[in-house]
Amino acid sequence: MRHLSDGTLRRIYDEPLALTAADQAHFDECAECKPRFHVIANDARATTGLLEVPAFEPQAPAALAVVRTRIKREETARPPRWYERWLGRTSLRWRPMATPAIAVLLAAALLTGLGVSGIAQSLFRIFEPKQLQAVTVSPSDFAQTTALLDYGQVKWLPEAPKVQQLTDAAAAQTQSGLPVLMPASLPNGVSGPVSYGAVSRATGSLTFDAERLRASAATKGVKVNPMPSGINGSTLVVNAGPALIEVWGFAAGSGMNVPTLVIAQTRVPTVDSNGATTAQLEDYLLSQPGVPPELAAQVRAIKDPSTTLPIPIPAGLATTESTQINGTPATLIKAVLGAGVVWVKNGVIYAVGGQLTPDQVLAIATSLH
Amino acid sequence: MLQMEAWRPTVTRASLGAINHRVPDPFERLFLQEYPKVVAIAYRVLADRPAAEDVAQEVFLKFHRSYSPDSERASGWLHAAAVHSALNVIRGERRRALRETAHALDPARPTIASPERLVEEAEQRREVRRALSRLPQRTAAVLMLRHSGLSYAEVATALGIKVGNVGTLLRRAEEALRKEVKRATPE
Repeated sequence: MRHLSDGTLRRIYDEPLALTAADQAHFDECAECKPRFHVIANDARATTGLLEVPAFEPQAPAALAVVRTRIKREETARPPRWYERWLGRTSLRWRPMATPAIAVLLAAALLTGLGVSGIAQSLFRIFEPKQLQAVTVSPSDFAQTTALLDYGQVKWLPEAPKVQQLTDAAAAQTQSGLPVLMPASLPNGVSGPVSYGAVSRATGSLTFDAERLRASAATKGVKVNPMPSGINGSTLVVNAGPALIEVWGFAAGSGMNVPTLVIAQTRVPTVDSNGATTAQLEDYLLSQPGVPPELAAQVRAIKDPSTTLPIPIPAGLATTESTQINGTPATLIKAVLGAGVVWVKNGVIYAVGGQLTPDQVLAIATSLH
Repeated sequence: MLQMEAWRPTVTRASLGAINHRVPDPFERLFLQEYPKVVAIAYRVLADRPAAEDVAQEVFLKFHRSYSPDSERASGWLHAAAVHSALNVIRGERRRALRETAHALDPARPTIASPERLVEEAEQRREVRRALSRLPQRTAAVLMLRHSGLSYAEVATALGIKVGNVGTLLRRAEEALRKEVKRATPE
């Protein structure tokens, strides 16, 4: 049997839909290619982290004005002398040299960084969803849950995710690193400009702290079960995004403000832990007072909690059924006002939904390219 | 609802008319379409906004001097020129022992994070760019084009390679970069 090359596996991570049917069939069945894919995907994710830069939205019209002025100047100017030509190539602006104060800060930052890097070696992955499962929740369930309590220290590494609203497909693709997906055709009633939302990749950590939980529960007057020693002090690192959201029927300034179609995609979130296991966390969090027993039972019934992402479905407002999108298992959500379908393929979660019939949603989802 | 249906097509026609009016020539159309990608490529390589904008503008000026904006190869040429020009800048910086301080001191950037965090991030970005400047040109180019958000087809067009080879080169480039970063910052 010929296995998929590293290059093909690398492409699956970026462009899962570009895989040929034969390669996809091999990948779905192959016990060797899948672990290789996970190693490659992890490396790709780590490289994305290394190359990350703060977000910024380019101002094309302003830049065009500058370039236009320079073109005009060039056209009217005399031919440049040889040394001027040479000087023109080094016209990039340079920043001032680091001051001693900055150097001191830098040394301090590096030292603290070294202290933290020890943690990285002891992390192991506890959650990397490969499938979805609907879980019914009542909106009132969350009124008294203990989810809003302070379970420990939360840190963004290095910063909280940023959402950018864009009107240009190319810019959305560039900002999110995900391909802009388009349906083969749009159903009646869906029209108008598409607006894009690009959410940056984000990494956050939560270090459980029994004392902080006890104190915050006391302040809010809520009873909680004490945190077991296996969880207290352990750190979870959550990696999420990037995500790309395409919305029809909602564009600033157009007067239209009801989304008629939404196509969303995001890389599956992963959770790494340096102590607590999925089972320990599930046992503890689901046994907290305030978590409804039906919800706990549904989550406990999930066969493989480390690879299943529960999708909350509001009880009484929507129903779900299993379906397939081009051979991949998917969850179809039917509501009174619309429908949606969600599926996971090659490390990316896709969702299509809107004020549409289930058939329209499925037609769009299967035709995405 | 009826009213909304009645004015919707008018708005679309009007805005299209306005766009057509604002984009009278092919160079301008090409610029508005490609500038976000070109500057994103340069920014991903340099991690410095003003420097990336300078590189992007230089690339368009150079293009304007020598090529027709109607050329089929225009986008590919612009992407390739952006990545190579920006990589040349960081190679030059390495030779000059890197004097600038990247974004930690950028007054345009909102300072939500602590100064220590900003300095730490800036130093990490600088270290990664130093490692990048040591990679072979083509390896670094594949890596940066893809990580700037270009599709595999666009990367292939820019570098004149087959789409089927992009994944392989990218995988090798990612390994090479991580190895280079690790070598520069031993535990």
